[in-house]
Amino acid sequence: MTNTTEFINHLASKLGRPTPTETPPPVEISVPQYRLSNTEERASIFLQNWQALGGKGAIVKSDNDMLQCLKEWFGDLPVTWFKDNPQALIAWDMLPSIAESAFSTLNWPLTRYTQSSLDPRDRYSIAAHAELGITGSDLGIALSGTIVMNSDPLRGRAVSLLPPRHLAFIETTKIRNNLFEVLEEISALGTPPAAIEMISGPSRTSDIEMDLSIGVHGPIEVYVVVTDN
Amino acid sequence: MTMYNLTTDQRVDKALADNFLRQATRRATDRLRNNKYKASDELGNWEEWRNAGETIRKHVIANLDFYLQQLIEQMEKRGVHVHLAKTPADAVGIVRNIVREHDAKSVLKSKSMISEEIHLNHALEEDGAAVVETDLGEYIIQIAGEPPSHIIVPAMHKTRQQVADLFEPIAGHALSSDTPTLTRFVRIQMREQFLRGDIGITGCNFAVANTGSIVMVTNEGNGRMVSTLPRVQITLMGMERIVPSFRELDIMLNLLARSATGQRLSSYTTILTPPKKSADSDGPEEYHLVILDHNRSEILGDKLFRTALNCIRCGACFNVCPVYRQLGGHAYGSVYSGPIGSVITPLLEKDWKKWGHLPYFSSLCGACTEGCPVRIPLHDLLVKLRMRKTQSGHTPQVEQQIFKAYRYLFTREKTLRRALRLGAHLQRPFVRNHRITGGPAPLSNWTKSRTLPMVAPKPFMQIWADLNNKR
Amino acid sequence: MKVSLFATCLTNAFYPEVDLTMAKILKHLGHTVDVPEGQVCCGQIAFNSGYVDDAREVARTLIDSFERSEVVVGPSGSCIAMIHHYYPTLFEKEPVYLKKAEDLIHKSYEFTQFVVDVLNKPDLGAHYKAKATYHPSCHATRLLGIGEAPLKLLQHVKGLELLPLPEAQLCCGFGGTFSVKMPKISEAMVAEKAEHVLTSGADILLGLDMGCLMNISGYLEKINKPVKTMHIIQLLGEGMKS
Repeated sequence: MTNTTEFINHLASKLGRPTPTETPPPVEISVPQYRLSNTEERASIFLQNWQALGGKGAIVKSDNDMLQCLKEWFGDLPVTWFKDNPQALIAWDMLPSIAESAFSTLNWPLTRYTQSSLDPRDRYSIAAHAELGITGSDLGIALSGTIVMNSDPLRGRAVSLLPPRHLAFIETTKIRNNLFEVLEEISALGTPPAAIEMISGPSRTSDIEMDLSIGVHGPIEVYVVVTDN
Repeated sequence: MTMYNLTTDQRVDKALADNFLRQATRRATDRLRNNKYKASDELGNWEEWRNAGETIRKHVIANLDFYLQQLIEQMEKRGVHVHLAKTPADAVGIVRNIVREHDAKSVLKSKSMISEEIHLNHALEEDGAAVVETDLGEYIIQIAGEPPSHIIVPAMHKTRQQVADLFEPIAGHALSSDTPTLTRFVRIQMREQFLRGDIGITGCNFAVANTGSIVMVTNEGNGRMVSTLPRVQITLMGMERIVPSFRELDIMLNLLARSATGQRLSSYTTILTPPKKSADSDGPEEYHLVILDHNRSEILGDKLFRTALNCIRCGACFNVCPVYRQLGGHAYGSVYSGPIGSVITPLLEKDWKKWGHLPYFSSLCGACTEGCPVRIPLHDLLVKLRMRKTQSGHTPQVEQQIFKAYRYLFTREKTLRRALRLGAHLQRPFVRNHRITGGPAPLSNWTKSRTLPMVAPKPFMQIWADLNNKR
Repeated sequence: MKVSLFATCLTNAFYPEVDLTMAKILKHLGHTVDVPEGQVCCGQIAFNSGYVDDAREVARTLIDSFERSEVVVGPSGSCIAMIHHYYPTLFEKEPVYLKKAEDLIHKSYEFTQFVVDVLNKPDLGAHYKAKATYHPSCHATRLLGIGEAPLKLLQHVKGLELLPLPEAQLCCGFGGTFSVKMPKISEAMVAEKAEHVLTSGADILLGLDMGCLMNISGYLEKINKPVKTMHIIQLLGEGMKS
C-alpha cells in the first residue's frame, strides 16, 4: 500500500515537473457532431435506431394510444403472469402520469420495487422473478437509440436489469441528438447520481463463434414508449 | 500442458496447425473490422474524431499526476476506499484483504484486463472464495483455464461444441451446441450467482477525474449486475485510464464503441459515481478503487514509449493485424496480445527473456497504426522496442555480426559489387531453374517455403558504370 | 529535369532490369538521368531489426551520395518511406545530417508518385494485353500515402485488364528480416496473399516494391502456381517497347 502523495510525486518526477496546482486548461475539441433539426425528427430517428437494435418502440400521443400500444405488445400476458406471480410487474415508485393511468385502466397492478421489501436481496429476488420491469427515463439519444436513467432513491437500478423484459417511457422532449448533449446536460446538474445507466437495446453477446445472441444477462426484450404531448 | 509451458516456436506451430482457430480469427476480425468501418464512416469525419481522441489522451498522460490526484480526492471525499498498487502483487494483496475482511464466499467479476494482468483469480481461489467470471467469453475461458485470445472476444478460439462440452459438467447433462441453448444455460446458471454474490469486481473503461466517476461498457449487462447487486464492489483500473471530464468522455466513448465492435454505443454504458447514496435502494454500500501502476510510471517517464499509455483497449489493432489474423492471441503467450500487447507487455513486464519475441510478431506493415482510434504509432513503437532490446545486448550474437557485416558492405558500394559477384558464384549449387531453392541459415528460413531469385551476374551499379564508360 | 536514380539494394543485386527500365522510362520522358556513385541502401533492414547505429551509417552513405542531386527517384515505396518516415529520428541528434536528411526527404520520390504526381504523366503510351492484379504494398500505401498514382499509370496501359485483389490491404508477410526471423508466420501470411492472388484470376501480379513481389512470387513458385509477377516499371517498360 502506497500513500497518495508518494504515488503522485513519483509520477510528477517521471513527467519531470511538479504536479500542477490548478486544473490544466482543457484541450480544444472540434468534431462534427450529429444533429437533427427538431424534436419530432429526433423522436422518429431515436425510435428507428432503437428498433434497429432489436427493441420494440412506439410514439404515443394520447391516453388511448397508450392503452392500444400496451395491449398490442403484451395482450393478455400480464393476466397470465399474475396467476403465478402477483408481483409480475415491477416498477419505479413513480412513472409518467400517462403511464400510471394506463396501468390502472388496464388493471395491471404494479409492484413498486423500492417498497417491495426492506431486504435488498429480497428485492433483487422479486425483481428477478418479475416478468416485466417498468421505468421512466431521464434522457434519450437519437443517434444511438439510447435511453438514459439516473439512479434515485425512488427508483432502483435492478428494475431495468433483472426482469426478462424492460419497458421504459420517455417524453419526446427528452430526446437529444447525441451523447455529447446528454453528458453536457448531466454535468450541468453538479455531482452525478450514483449511477447513470445508458441502455441501447437488449442484452447481447457474440462470444460464441461471433454468433449474435440476445439476453445472456440483461433483459431479453426491451420496449420503449415515446410520449408526445 | 497449458500454453504457458510452451516455447514461442511451439505456440506458433500450435496456432498455425489449428484450422478452426485460424478460421475463427479471420471471421471475427473481418466482422469487427467491417463493423468498425461502417461505424466510423457514419460519423462524418473520422479523422477529426481520431485527432480529438489523440489530443485528449496525450493531454491526460501529460497531466496524469494531476488528474489522478483529482480522481482520488473526489473518490475519497465521498467515502470510496482508494488503494494504490505499485505492483501486481500489491494489487492482488489489496483485493485479497478486502475479500478476507468480508469473509466473502462468492466473488463476481465482470471483464477486467487488469485482473488478468495481475493474475487475480488464482489468488482468490486459493483463499477459498468462488470467483465467477460473468462475461460469457471470460466465463468460457475461465472454465477452460486459458487466457483471453482477443481483448474484446476472449473465447473467440472456442468452437460451439467445445463450449457445450465445457458447460456439460456444470449442467450435469449434455447441452446442445446451438447458441440460444448455450446462452440460456449461462443466463440461468449465472442468475443464481448474481443474486447471492458477496463482492463484485469490475474493470474500468474510463475514470472521470473531475467527478470521480467510473465508466464501464458491456453488451451483456454483466457489468451492471456486478456493479448493482453485491454489497461491496471493487473496481480495478490501470492508472492511465482517465478522462478529465464528461466533455472528453463523449469523444472517448464514441471512439471506443465504434472501434471495438462497430456500435454507436455499447448496449450498456454505465457511469458510476460511487458509493450509493444512503437512500438509494441498489448499488454497493462499500466501494473500493484499486489503481495499478505496474511499470506504467516507467513508461510515463520514457519519452520513446509514452504514447503506449494512450491506448483505450478497443482491440481495433487486433482486427487489422495480419500477424494476429494468422495466429490468434495465444501464440503471443501474453495476457495482452495483438499489436498493443506486443508493445506493452515487454514494457510492463520488463523481461526480455520471456517477452523479447513480442516486438518481432509484426511485419511492420503499419495497419495497426492506421487502425488505432487514438493514433498510437504502434508499428514505430515495435521498432523502438527492437532497438531497446538490441541496445541492451539481448539479441543473438550471430545477428549482431550479420548487421556489422551489413554495415561494412552497405557503406562501400564498390566492395559490395565484388561481394555480389562472389555471391553469384556461390549460389550455383542452390540454383534450380534459375531460382535459388536452398541455402545455409538464415537463408534457409526463406527457402523452406519460397524460392529466391538469383543474384544477377552483374549488379545494376556495374551495368550502369559499364554503359556509361562505353559512351 | 535532372533525375538521380536510387537503385535500391534489392533491385541492384537481384533485379537490375527494374532499375535499367526505370532509367529508360525517365529518359523517354525527356529527363537527364544519373546514378550517383556510392549509393547502396536506405538502411531499413538494420533499422527495422533494431540495429539503429548500423542503419544510421548506411543511411549516411545514401544521404552523402545524393547530396548534389536535384531529384531522387527510386523503384520502391518501402525504401522511400524509410527515408521520409525514419531519417528524421535517425539523425535527430546530428543537426548537420538532420538538415541533409530533410533535403533528401524533400527531393525524393517513389517512381509512380514521381511520374504521376510530379511529372503529371499518367499516360506513358504503353500497350500490354493481359489480366493483371495489383498488390498495394504496405509502406507505399500507409507510410507514403500512395494510393492512386500506380493505378492511374496502369489504367492508361492499353489492353491491360485490372482485376481486384481480394483483401488487398493485407501485408504479404515479407517485412524484410521478418521473413527470416519469423519464417512460419511469414509463410502463413504469404500463403494467404497467394490464395487471394490466385482467386483474383489474374495472369500477372503487379506491385511497386520488389521485396513484396519477391516474397509472393517465391511462394507461388514453391507451390507450383507460377503467376507471373512484375514491377509496374517492368510492365510499363515492356508495354512501351511496342
